[in-house]
Amino acid sequence: MKVLTNPALCVGADLPAWLAAGGGTGLSHALAEPDAIIPLLEAAGLRGLGGAGFPTHRKWASVAAQPGPERWIICNGNEDEPGTFKDRFLLAEAPHQVIEGALIAAVAVKAAQVVLYVNPREDTAVRACRAAVDAWMAHPLAEAVSAAIGARLALRVMESSGLYIGGEETGAVSSVMGGFPFPRLKPPFPVEHGVGDAPTLINNVETLAQATHILWHGAEWYRALGLGDAVGTKLYSLSGDVLRPGLHELPMGTPLRELVFGQGGGMLAGKAFKAVFTGGPSNTLLTAADLDVPLDFENVRARGSRLGTGAMIVVGEGTSILRKTAEYVAFFAASSCGQCPSCKIGTHQVSRILERLESGAGRVDDLTALENLARMLPGSGRCGLVDGAATVLASSLATFRQEYEAALPSD
Amino acid sequence: MGEARAGEGTVDVVFDGHVIAANQGVSLLQAWIAAGLPLTENAGCMGQGVCGACRVLVRRPGERLAGTALACETKAEAGMQVSFVDHFPARRPHRYALESLTDSWSIAEQIDTVFPEAKHCRHCSGCDRACPKGIPVQRMVNLAAEGQVFAAAELFDACVMCNLCVAACPEHIDPAHLGQFTRRMHAALTLRPADLMQRLRQIEAGEQRIDPEAPGTYPPAHA
Amino acid sequence: MSAGISFPEALAAWAAAAPAPERDCTLPVPELLKIFHPDHRAGGMVTLAAGASAGTACPVELAALLQSDALLEDVDLAGTHILDADVLILGGGGAGCVAALAAARAGARVLIAAKLRLGDGNTVMAEGGIQAAIGAEDSLQRHFEDTLRAGHFAADKAVVAALVEDGPDAIRWLIQQGMSFDLTDERQRMGGTLLRKKPGGATAARLLSYRDFTGLEMMRALREAVLLQPGIAVLDRHPAVELLTDDRGRCGGAVLQDLGRGRLVLARAGATVLATGGAGRLHLAGFPTSNHYGATADGLVLAYRAGARLREMDSFQYHPTGIAWPGHLEGMLVSEAARSAGARLINGRGERFVAELAPRDVVASAMLREMVEGRGIVRDGQLGLFLDTPSLEREQPGILQKRLQTLSHLAHRAGIDPAGEPFMVRPTLHYQNGGVAIDSRARTSLPGLLAAGEVTGGLHGRNRMMGNALLELVVFGRRAGAMAAVDARQERPRNLGLNHLAGWRRGLLAAGLGLEGKGPLLFPSYGNITAAALKGRAA
Repeated sequence: MKVLTNPALCVGADLPAWLAAGGGTGLSHALAEPDAIIPLLEAAGLRGLGGAGFPTHRKWASVAAQPGPERWIICNGNEDEPGTFKDRFLLAEAPHQVIEGALIAAVAVKAAQVVLYVNPREDTAVRACRAAVDAWMAHPLAEAVSAAIGARLALRVMESSGLYIGGEETGAVSSVMGGFPFPRLKPPFPVEHGVGDAPTLINNVETLAQATHILWHGAEWYRALGLGDAVGTKLYSLSGDVLRPGLHELPMGTPLRELVFGQGGGMLAGKAFKAVFTGGPSNTLLTAADLDVPLDFENVRARGSRLGTGAMIVVGEGTSILRKTAEYVAFFAASSCGQCPSCKIGTHQVSRILERLESGAGRVDDLTALENLARMLPGSGRCGLVDGAATVLASSLATFRQEYEAALPSD
Repeated sequence: MGEARAGEGTVDVVFDGHVIAANQGVSLLQAWIAAGLPLTENAGCMGQGVCGACRVLVRRPGERLAGTALACETKAEAGMQVSFVDHFPARRPHRYALESLTDSWSIAEQIDTVFPEAKHCRHCSGCDRACPKGIPVQRMVNLAAEGQVFAAAELFDACVMCNLCVAACPEHIDPAHLGQFTRRMHAALTLRPADLMQRLRQIEAGEQRIDPEAPGTYPPAHA
Repeated sequence: MSAGISFPEALAAWAAAAPAPERDCTLPVPELLKIFHPDHRAGGMVTLAAGASAGTACPVELAALLQSDALLEDVDLAGTHILDADVLILGGGGAGCVAALAAARAGARVLIAAKLRLGDGNTVMAEGGIQAAIGAEDSLQRHFEDTLRAGHFAADKAVVAALVEDGPDAIRWLIQQGMSFDLTDERQRMGGTLLRKKPGGATAARLLSYRDFTGLEMMRALREAVLLQPGIAVLDRHPAVELLTDDRGRCGGAVLQDLGRGRLVLARAGATVLATGGAGRLHLAGFPTSNHYGATADGLVLAYRAGARLREMDSFQYHPTGIAWPGHLEGMLVSEAARSAGARLINGRGERFVAELAPRDVVASAMLREMVEGRGIVRDGQLGLFLDTPSLEREQPGILQKRLQTLSHLAHRAGIDPAGEPFMVRPTLHYQNGGVAIDSRARTSLPGLLAAGEVTGGLHGRNRMMGNALLELVVFGRRAGAMAAVDARQERPRNLGLNHLAGWRRGLLAAGLGLEGKGPLLFPSYGNITAAALKGRAA
């Protein structure tokens, strides 16, 4: 069942069309009974869909429990990781369900400052969001939200830096405050000390969009959408060596095989399936032995990997794992913000060795050096960037060592 | 010579994936050699700390952030994790010709022309943290971008060309090369010693000819 | 090594006898050198039996390499990667960089090949300074005579004349490359005077410097200049393993070992400049060395095998004050500045035994005498003598922090307080006085091959003055580069290959020397890799 990508709801920035299609119902429910919002999310079992999978109600409750008058909400639409392309779709095609989710959150945690934090490289999304925000601010519902919060709602679009690290929570806070999106050590977490030191709720675009539907249709409805123990639907960004790449909204818990061979139309040119890099792409690889894994937080974690953003980059026979890993590590190296030499230089060094292997100038010792870096780098930075690079490296090296060895000169 | 001599026991270090029992007190570079591992790069002055060849990434037990260092100057400590770091040259050279920098009035513009990235410093301080000599690299970059050539050059006095700041800079400012630019400019544009110039004039005028047969060019006669 | 006096006992003797009494040293200098200088040690020298300098003396360790067979056979060259240039520079230290700049600015396409990384040589380690006769009371003639005298009148006068004549211009050239020098008054950048010190053995203050890291300041300006100079291609990690010669014996480039890719590269050139430096890492007579990791005499070996003449190959400089303890710093230099400032050398009995500012060969020999005759000091198995920094500090309070920063830094790394405890020092192998013979235009006896820097012979005679090494690399680097650019415009070498090898091998066999030994060495034995093992293998 299509929820977020339901064609009837993809009305762009047209607010009357959104309301005519049933939009606004969730927000009305929220306004009618603000104290019921967070328990409802808990009952629905909504979790952060930007990658971490942290229970959403706990985050909202933490912010709601903070003292002081000022609170912020950042709707995180920075989305910059390779292979992930879900948020840009939602923001461009159905921004109202996202904004409504953000307003529900504003009511729930009593935050007057709401920021749609959007990657400027997605100009259609930016345009749609601006138009949508203008429409909301001119609508009486905005007044109602202000009244519920007890302060004048300030809803606006802010272009992010477009840099990968700007998607990290503390990086987003720094960016919203007008600075460079430098991540910082946590704790303290933004729920306590965020924008201008005020409690700040940061949720991914997809998470907030789901909140809209939960408030609209109820927790039971949402839970029933998932397969097995999983709840709701998930946007999977499918790419790589499949016949039909693209954005697929499927029940949370859909098996990997169904995504690749059903929805994805199977492997491109009939090539054998090798592996999947999960978004984004900073996790342990899923391999043929994992085709049966239900794609939800718990089951993917049980295979030693993580669902991440729901990006699934499929690699078939004929595509080099070494090549792809080199590509992703190079992305992390280029994206590293520079604060931590272990991250910037560590990822550069990994990148350098991978390039060397690829160019046929590798040495046996290079594999040992890579394993060493994969062990020593995790946890050595202020944020998780270096961990992601180390994880994808360690995983590809452990699972596809023969590809690394094949790249070594024959004598 | 390269061999480490027994001190008081050994300490275990993991160096590029090799578990090394290093004698207490030896440098990381000596520990590497003493372990019988081949050394064909990342080595130069072997301990003086002036050539910047033996760059390493070091993580000490119990420390969260890992740091950079020179292996010849860093003592092996128990539980250290170490990785050699390659030489990172500038991705593209910042080209200039010292002799054509004749208009000192436009020095800031000329620095900007050669190093346009310098004004984009994002103040992450990664270069400061990466420098094994403790140079305030970022401050130098900012001073250079403002055209404060002397002040920038002075800060870069201790640079040993390890290029770790080049690898560390996310804006590709190539601080090591910018630092050298200011230092070289400082010398080439302003250093004009009178005694040297006087001697050069004398030589050109033929007043300093050498007599290869002068008495002082032969051993003193044996008494 | 002989036994000595235990450290605690020596420390007590030193503390009890301040100021230190002078021991009566009656041995005349020639005899002292003859008995105790490592150049004269029994069994240390052999006579070369093959090659252009057959009949001359050479240290055993070096002779084994000089009279070795090539690592390569002709068949190894099949299918190798080929690079062409007008001028090929072997060596990426100071001399190589200067030569590359000079050749490129004379219009040549230049290839510079370094074994390690560009700049990682001995130049960068030089602390003291560079000589140039610029003082009003000084003259080129005095520099000329001082150099000849310090070298025991064994140097080639024409080469020394070229060295000193180019001295002042070399300093101007260095400033033009962006190198700084200390001034007597830092505010007088235009029209001021350069700070001058008096090097050992000189009759005038002639040593110019930049703090106590002159070589570093020089090398970083040169490296930058090379990296930015159009027309120069830099090959790091490309040691030369054999010279290329044509069928008339002319040098036409070299075979390089690309360490990163484990393959050979044929670098063909109209002229080749040898700038491969010295031989400290051969650890002659088991001495520690102050030299960089790559100082393994490769250039001498290649040039000699291809027919170049060597000179004063039996003369090496041992710097008196290398670190003796702790073991992990052994061989590293304590700058001569300490003795210049007045620090004394003390034996295990608390006695002075030499005039500390005598020529380096004399001081080193006197120190070795103390060590051999049982008056050395033993600490953790390391034998050495005291450099009395605490007395220096007592006599001139603050001097360690103010004027001897590098020394203080070194003490910190050795884990001692130089104001409270003397350094343990001993002579360390420092410089190769002789080398490949050159003329005043930097030409070797092998057509097509020029040379500059420590690898050359002829200008230091049998003992080098402090400050002439940095000068030499600039003067002859410039001359070699310019001359190479001219040479490269002449007729190109024809039928390039390993044409010299057959004759060389016949010579070795005729001299009764086998073909078992291979050279060049490339890396010291404790580098845990041999040149032969590197052939065809990435490292």
